[in-house]
Amino acid sequence: MTPPRLGHSNLGLGVGLRSVHFDYILKNQPAVDWFEVISENFVDSQGRPRYVLQQIAERYPIVLHGVSLSIGSTDPLDFEYLGKLKRLARETGAEWISDHLCWTGVLGRNSHDLLPVPFTEETLKHVVERVRTVQDFLERPFVLENPSSYVTFQDSTMDEWEFVTRMAEEADCGLLLDVNNVYVSSFNHDTDPDRFIRSLPHERIVQFHLAGHSNYTQYIIDTHDNHVIDPVWELYRTAHQLTGGVSTLLEWDANIPPFPVVHEEVLKAKRFMGEHLPKEGEEEREPALAASGDTVFHPLHTIRPEVE
Amino acid sequence: MSGAPRSLDVVQRWFQAVVTHPGGVEGGAESAEAQRLIHLQRGELEAVIRRSKSLTAAERMAIYANAYYARLLECMEAWFPVLKSALGEEVFNAFAFEYLQRYPSQSYTLDRLGENFGRFLDETRPEAEEGEDGSWPDFLIDLATLEWNIHQVFDGPGVEFQPLLTAEALQAFPAERFAEARLTPVPCLRLLSFRYPVNAYYTAARQGEEVPPPGPAPERIALSRREFVVRRYPLTAPQYALLEKVLAGATVGEVIAAAAEAAGGLDDDALAAGLQEWFRLWVAEGFFQSIA
Repeated sequence: MTPPRLGHSNLGLGVGLRSVHFDYILKNQPAVDWFEVISENFVDSQGRPRYVLQQIAERYPIVLHGVSLSIGSTDPLDFEYLGKLKRLARETGAEWISDHLCWTGVLGRNSHDLLPVPFTEETLKHVVERVRTVQDFLERPFVLENPSSYVTFQDSTMDEWEFVTRMAEEADCGLLLDVNNVYVSSFNHDTDPDRFIRSLPHERIVQFHLAGHSNYTQYIIDTHDNHVIDPVWELYRTAHQLTGGVSTLLEWDANIPPFPVVHEEVLKAKRFMGEHLPKEGEEEREPALAASGDTVFHPLHTIRPEVE
Repeated sequence: MSGAPRSLDVVQRWFQAVVTHPGGVEGGAESAEAQRLIHLQRGELEAVIRRSKSLTAAERMAIYANAYYARLLECMEAWFPVLKSALGEEVFNAFAFEYLQRYPSQSYTLDRLGENFGRFLDETRPEAEEGEDGSWPDFLIDLATLEWNIHQVFDGPGVEFQPLLTAEALQAFPAERFAEARLTPVPCLRLLSFRYPVNAYYTAARQGEEVPPPGPAPERIALSRREFVVRRYPLTAPQYALLEKVLAGATVGEVIAAAAEAAGGLDDDALAAGLQEWFRLWVAEGFFQSIA
């Protein structure tokens, strides 16, 4: 029988590490349970970003979260990148490594976006083989996240949750359930987010993501630039009950507020962990309505150099 | 539109051709590359992409197409903020938009996205008009080169927490071996030679001053990094010649000869005094790891 979280630790409530918070974290050592870092921001760094990460990794559990693996691409896997990722994981003592069920480009190009795959038997076979290869290479727990998506393909022969379930079971990997992405994609594809979450293999869910998004009325963009809205918290409550609780991480990538605000946001998760806790009324009730063209989702961040 | 099953490879190449096309989704779907992969008549996008209750297939694809250039332009602005302020947002974006088509990202990291921007500006420089010297693009190229190198030094290899050559160690080095010795520069030391004084312009722009683009004048600087902060050092022609030789692995005798040649008519005493002062400063600033 598969143990909950595939036997991995529940690290508690964590925050995505962003460079604007470096100084605050080093100075104040906030009582955060763990940090998730964007792998690509550090794999090549030989300057301050890597030094800051080294100090943070000495005190906090670290998880590496990547955006460039391109597990669904028909291009060959990039073993230069994987080698650097493996080394960074070793140096930071990363609990696990994650990336997205997506592709980022073909023919040697990188769009730096998380592009959707058609959910077909061919894609499933392709992704499962590559997940196995990556897991064998990394020699560290590997989990894949459901991305937000904005299109679906006529060629798809199964729902996303069926694809994700079969992929995780056939490749024997973990899942990073991004609760906000389920909400975003379900809104965009006219599907039921609750059914998505209930249909997954819950014992394979190793981590949750939470984030805010931008609602443009006819569609939603996963901008990570705001508070988590109430319906997403409700989905989180369901996911928490179904899994028994897993490591939970808040992402905030644009219009980033001071660190205590970001930390406070993830601590709200405690309110949704008890089955019988009364619902509180101070969360975001309505989806935030965004003006068109406000924010572009950035899976990667540029770090402003310090120069004299 | 063919009814044959489409392979994942075909779907991905088609999708990329459509969402990265500079003419947007419509231009992308009608491009020769996309049509070769999946032949669609205008308005047939829904043969590949499903519509939602609210959006057509084209509107849904446009979310990816709009984000592609918007995201990468934002990154280019982050790499070249002073160049952007010099050109103005509209002109900068027009340059960057064309650049992204000619040099699309081929790396897992955005850190390399701007590495060919200076080369691109050179390749696309306009022909000089009659009566103009035509060197103005050099200002843009030099500024792009400076900003790109600052990024490289900021996150590239450094020597924080490593022992460096001290004034005492240099003083104690046997005088009879000095001419044949070699200095090992720190890996973050870079020399840049400009046709326009972009370093001074960069300083003013970072201080928020609205400065007009300068006229042409040679400028030389060294970039290095200490305590994770990038430092800029204006150099004279002899200083530049000397450090260039150090970076090339020449002996101390050879580097001093290069400085003397670049110094032209400077007498030996003045040059000796200058060399002493330069080395004092550069050792204090951590330009060298060792001498041997």
